[in-house]
Amino acid sequence: MLKSLALMVRRLAAGDAAPRSASALHRFMGRQSPAPPLIPPTASESPALGALRAAALALPGLMAQSPEALAAPGDIVDLQYGSYKQTPWQLLGGLKSQYNPLQVDNIEANGVLTFSDRWKFGFNYAQDTWSGATPVSSAPYAFGGNNPSAAGASPLVRGNGTILYDKKLTAFRLDPNTANYVPDNRLVQTVASASPEIRNQGNFRLGYEWDEAAVNLGGGVSQEPDYNSAFGSLNGRMDFNQKLTSVNLGLNYANSDINALINPLYSPYVDQSYYAEKGQIDTIPNASGAPGRYLTGNRQDWTSHLSVAQVINKDLLLESGIGFTRSTGYLGNPYKAVDMVFVDTQGTPVPPVDGSTLPPLYAPQVQAVVERRPEERNQGMWDMRFVQFVEPMDASVHGGYRFFIDDWGITAHTFDIDWVQPVESWTVTPRFRYYSQNGANFYQPYFLFQGKAPQGPDGRFNLAGVPLDAYSSDYRLSAYGALSGGITVARPIGKAMAFEAGFEYYAHAGDLRLGGAGQGSWSNFDYYQFNAAVKVDLSAISTAKLSEPEDHAGHHHHSGDHRQQHLGMDAPSGILFNHMLADEGDTMVGVRYAYALQQGGMRHGTGSATDQQIVAQGCGPSLKCTFTPKEMDMGMVMVDLMYAPTDWLTLMLMPQFMSMDMHLRRLDGSPDPGGGGHAAHGANPYHATGGVGDIFMGSLFKLYEMEGHKLHFTLGFTAPTGSVNQRVDGNTEFEHYGMQLGTGTWNIWPSLTYNGYAGDFNWGGQVSTNAPLQNHNDSGFAFGTLFQTTAWGGVQIQDWLSGSVRALYTFQDSISGNYPEPFVPSGPMDTPQSYGGQYLDIGIGLNASVPSGDFEGNHFGIEWLQPAYNDYNGYQLERTGTLWASWALSF
Amino acid sequence: MILKVSGFFLRLSLLVLVSGCTSVQPWERGTLAKPHMALQPFPSQTALREHIYGSRESASGSTASAGGGGCGCY
Amino acid sequence: MTLRHWIISGLLLLGDSHISLAEVVLGQAAPSCSLSKIGGGAEKKLDSFKGQVVYVDFWASWCGPCAQSFPFMNQLHRELSSKGLAIVGVNLDEKAADAAGFLTKTPAHFEILADVGGSCPQGFGVKAMPSSYLIDRHGVVRHIHLGFKPSETEALRKEIDALLLEAASTP
Repeated sequence: MLKSLALMVRRLAAGDAAPRSASALHRFMGRQSPAPPLIPPTASESPALGALRAAALALPGLMAQSPEALAAPGDIVDLQYGSYKQTPWQLLGGLKSQYNPLQVDNIEANGVLTFSDRWKFGFNYAQDTWSGATPVSSAPYAFGGNNPSAAGASPLVRGNGTILYDKKLTAFRLDPNTANYVPDNRLVQTVASASPEIRNQGNFRLGYEWDEAAVNLGGGVSQEPDYNSAFGSLNGRMDFNQKLTSVNLGLNYANSDINALINPLYSPYVDQSYYAEKGQIDTIPNASGAPGRYLTGNRQDWTSHLSVAQVINKDLLLESGIGFTRSTGYLGNPYKAVDMVFVDTQGTPVPPVDGSTLPPLYAPQVQAVVERRPEERNQGMWDMRFVQFVEPMDASVHGGYRFFIDDWGITAHTFDIDWVQPVESWTVTPRFRYYSQNGANFYQPYFLFQGKAPQGPDGRFNLAGVPLDAYSSDYRLSAYGALSGGITVARPIGKAMAFEAGFEYYAHAGDLRLGGAGQGSWSNFDYYQFNAAVKVDLSAISTAKLSEPEDHAGHHHHSGDHRQQHLGMDAPSGILFNHMLADEGDTMVGVRYAYALQQGGMRHGTGSATDQQIVAQGCGPSLKCTFTPKEMDMGMVMVDLMYAPTDWLTLMLMPQFMSMDMHLRRLDGSPDPGGGGHAAHGANPYHATGGVGDIFMGSLFKLYEMEGHKLHFTLGFTAPTGSVNQRVDGNTEFEHYGMQLGTGTWNIWPSLTYNGYAGDFNWGGQVSTNAPLQNHNDSGFAFGTLFQTTAWGGVQIQDWLSGSVRALYTFQDSISGNYPEPFVPSGPMDTPQSYGGQYLDIGIGLNASVPSGDFEGNHFGIEWLQPAYNDYNGYQLERTGTLWASWALSF
Repeated sequence: MILKVSGFFLRLSLLVLVSGCTSVQPWERGTLAKPHMALQPFPSQTALREHIYGSRESASGSTASAGGGGCGCY
Repeated sequence: MTLRHWIISGLLLLGDSHISLAEVVLGQAAPSCSLSKIGGGAEKKLDSFKGQVVYVDFWASWCGPCAQSFPFMNQLHRELSSKGLAIVGVNLDEKAADAAGFLTKTPAHFEILADVGGSCPQGFGVKAMPSSYLIDRHGVVRHIHLGFKPSETEALRKEIDALLLEAASTP
């Protein structure tokens, strides 16, 4: 589908009237050809069908064999998943943080397509989901900043009564066991939670390739609730010496807006006066009326880069480059603060305990302040890399060094080395990396001053009196080293697909700094990271298709076996795991989209439900409901990746992406919802969630096959990669069960599918069940077991088009378990009993497949499922129907 | 001190570039054309890892987007 | 001192690797090459194709655009070999096994020969991979194409058709 879209755009760009002249401009811009004529409808078709056919095949060249349809080498589409997890911070004293460590999941799709041989179009979409805790500042251990206090109050505890200093500014901690003060200069991170956030990024590039040069222009946006960025880039490459030397020049600009809510848990205790005076603090009342303070800012980053790659000999490639970046504006992190501690050694020491041998100790004044960094940062770097072939092992060594320096006082060194080793059809790559940096000149774990805290005329802390222009306790600006090691494995799958997976473990430690003297071990952390990707080489697909043996009519393996081989591919669009790949080594990619809509009235069992009934009974015996859904829609994108290692086994991987939204309304006669929760959104709240869903992995086994019939069994599992931790408005309240992105549990999903055909007719049936393998997920609940059975019949309308009709019966159990306290349901969508039911749907669909030509092997399908009979558990919004659309390409 | 060291490495790299060169004919680039001999054999993965390093470390910038080497085909 | 360092190094870098090859000029006779079957075997000289229009294509298994060009050359062979077109794919792989593997995935219906030693591409002055040379019935090089792009196939086809129409007999 991508290729056909690419062709269409290219044709539109080329135009029909381009003259075939030998002018310099023409030679420069590449040859352009007029579009071949449309295929006229055949006599046997009705005009309507003929029009449909012509429209569907209006992409020029569809039926003709044209070399222009070849994808160029380097045209790819790939999909990647990454997962990052940090190890918990060392909080000392055996304390474990009440928060989960930082975790990021990332999915990314990108592609490169070529038009007219020389125009390259690249696109990239990425989504990161962040959750977990991150340090807000660091402080003496004695502050007790990480102890969860009974009132659940600020983590930035001001060390009242727990810490004292002596004249030499050594910290003394109150030992809870002995009630004595003991010297303790240890430091610790103060960890606070950040609400789960999703970042979306999309960017594209457009490039033109001459024989020995190329130019690329690109741009994109990145969006998350607190950070929006737009960026553009321009780069060029020139080759010399018959491409033995390549020079690259690049320029990037990014403009970003920050709008961050200062964590309300500590916002009242953190001095924000510097930014308030600059007008960068916006105060917006939140749901419960308390003022939410947002730190706003803008930053601009200019980056330029020049590098040279040189082939040294047949086995060695060297590359070296320099870069310069200039950043201006608000360069700080709005979620970080520093602790400023003032010890007045001239003042009165604390009265000593009788018999104490301690020196005079003074009580400090402590003030937490939002961090402040300079408004300008100039950074320079140079690096060099080499790639050396190692003949005896048929392997290659890649190594590099990068030097970095900036005007914040940071210099950093990076060394990395990879060994890429082909092993049979696999490629195994172990790698090591060492990184070392020294700290920024305005970094300190916390800021200790001798003297009284500066006070304004009102007796309160006066930040302007502190003699510092910049201050940060962000551990990323401290002095440390990091050592990481990892391994990547890759393997081609079939003719044009490749699979890659990688793992890396990274340790950040002060001790690892080059030359030592980094920050102490309190600031150490580790992370591990895993990634997997599937890549499709579009040029290999087109070359493979053109290289297949053809008969005189130019059709590829077009025989009676064709329908047997593709048995199941004409099954309705809404049926998953509907077919197996016929031959060993076959691969298939596909995308399936489902759109399910619920709107209309509320239902209970097989009848309708009134607002009164819902208010009284919808939320359990003791609670009255206040809200109910008005409309809910769900969009799901599923990417099908299939590979047949043998002709009786097909492996399948299916990542899913969900997007859901729900409109709610107040129930007539419901009591006042009170503060918090849905009330904050007014009378008609709207919620939306979106992101990665669960991923399916399975094997399809051929059980029985004969001419005209095929039976296969699918054994599959879904992994809980979809979040069940979605909250309303980035807050603390759980979203409705149906708005979560995944199930949160490992599920088993076996199914049995039968396909048959005879003459112009095809038919089939499927029985499947989807059951959780755990009692409940991390959010305390599990979706009910699902059981489905479906049967369909289809008929060929044309040799490329068929229609289908089917019936689907579904049974789903209600949710077991529920969200943990203190979750208060506001409507039936928040109660486990109002999920599941029994349904009967009737489906009607169309399937098209391209029988020959350049696009042979593409299959399209569409189906509408109409609910015919529904028996809802509890109180649910009426089901309107589901639309399925799919595309698949086998190669 | 650091500037001196880096200056030295810079000059060393240029020297190596200049001295080790031999002429490689266009048809002798079979080894260089091998996929694992590319400057970035796993570009998507490298981009993800650099993204993670950039969010945990202060230094930024890399030559991940450089072109060159390879088969040298037109 | 450092700036001069940079300039000299830069010039040396760019000026280095200047490859001086014997270059083939349009209108001149094609160099005579000794070729053999892949993996060794009987020799065949390029001269032996005189009287036919010869499409000499230098290719290797590691060259992406070469894989793209094979289906086109197969088509040319299928349609024009009866009219006097001889397509000779000269393989330049260092290892015969690589070429054999490539041919299994992307079969060639035209003649494939190999040049072990690299004297043929040297003689032709091959500057890029792939390179194709169109030689007329008298053994004179008439067209040189560097690289392969699918949009160039129509022009190539026209050039070949024109050459095929020329008579073989010496004027």
